[in-house]
Amino acid sequence: MSRPDRREASQLRALNCSLGQLNRADGSAQFSAGNTSVVSGIYGPVEAKVYEEKLDRAVVEVKFRPDIGAPTTKDKWMESAIRNTFEREILAHLHPRTLVQIVIQLREGDGSVDSAAINATSLALVDAGIPLKCMITAATCAVLPDDTTVVDPTQEEIDAARSTHTFAFASGSSTGPLYVDSRGDFTMDEYNHCYELCALATERVLAFMRTAIEGKVTKEAKISAA
Amino acid sequence: MASVKIVLPGDIIDTRREEDTTQQESNVEDEATVIRLGPGLVQSSEAVSAVTAGVLHSNSETNRWWVAGNKRRYVAAVGEPVVGVVVARHGEGYRVDIGSAHDALLPHLAFEGATKRNKPNLAVGTVVYGRVVVANSVMDPEIECYNSNTGKSEGYGELSEGFMFKCSLGLARRLIDTKAPVLAALGNGVPFEVAVGVNGRVWVNAGSVATTILVANAIRNSEYLDAKQCRQMVKELLEKQ
Repeated sequence: MSRPDRREASQLRALNCSLGQLNRADGSAQFSAGNTSVVSGIYGPVEAKVYEEKLDRAVVEVKFRPDIGAPTTKDKWMESAIRNTFEREILAHLHPRTLVQIVIQLREGDGSVDSAAINATSLALVDAGIPLKCMITAATCAVLPDDTTVVDPTQEEIDAARSTHTFAFASGSSTGPLYVDSRGDFTMDEYNHCYELCALATERVLAFMRTAIEGKVTKEAKISAA
Repeated sequence: MASVKIVLPGDIIDTRREEDTTQQESNVEDEATVIRLGPGLVQSSEAVSAVTAGVLHSNSETNRWWVAGNKRRYVAAVGEPVVGVVVARHGEGYRVDIGSAHDALLPHLAFEGATKRNKPNLAVGTVVYGRVVVANSVMDPEIECYNSNTGKSEGYGELSEGFMFKCSLGLARRLIDTKAPVLAALGNGVPFEVAVGVNGRVWVNAGSVATTILVANAIRNSEYLDAKQCRQMVKELLEKQ
């Protein structure tokens, strides 16, 4: 069985990212896998409104904007899922009574949008210098009708799939995933197989992010040392 | 440290040094040293891990470790010089926007020679240069526009005329800490005064509007340029004038 773009079953699409492109945001990152492209902007820590501030930690707010049209319930759900994932990993107790606002704009969607959004937000938080317990990387798997499992599915593959699974893991942590989204009909074996494939895929995404961040830090450090 | 070590959030830091590994037979408790963690590092149970991305630095004399990275949002720390804008006047002082999450308080009497009868009268929108005196995560920051130990202004206070712009925190630190090449190159070409705040705000005042804008642009451009490129860039700007 061959995929429409002739990738291997466990092969990710070409990853691309750029950091710090939005000059009004405190941090930003654009992350794309193949045609799926997401921009994430971070504002914070800034002043929180009195009715939503927390006395001992920073409040994390996420806004997700789809590529076309106004935000719908699906986007609101994505906002709360991403917020729950990052709220635990941001060291919010260092900045009480403040707000960290994450704004995610989907530029082009071609499958695996939620994992791209999580990866872009991870990079953007690093660009903004917000303290994080770890890097968070995500990957999506789809189980196709012919029982093959493919990593980083395109929209065409997702539409045809029996089930799709997105996992996000914390870097360097052997505990379970931080985020799991499974949709469709699947068996536990299929789920476990997808879990392993996504765990491997997220390691590759982490290596890619490390290279990108090292590039940016080296550029800045060279100037400081000169 | 010969090679530059770049860390990401979540990386575990090995704080032992190369010299320590030769002493592994000796009693660990006798050799235990206190390691001071600076910005970007936290202790999680027994290990030290990084929480921001940047270059890992350490000082072998003071046993300090920290991560140096660039960012744009300022978090106030005591003793730092900052450039702020007055946004409100209250009974006990002014509210000054210094770019941190909460606006700073500047007491009415925190100026050189200020008494209850003789207080400076700053309008909303005034640019001031001050020093942070109170900064922690639970309180609003406070600044003062004079050195409270000597009672002299020492350059702090109201900054009149001129133009204030924002830059990244890394660029602001380079402008203050090192003999920044861009300021030296500009100083050879045009007369101007500058006040740099570590909160990423720079105030510039030169003779005319055109020169002030030229100086501000030159400083902004110098973010990723090394010394030689800075001098070249400033030379081109001055020639075009």
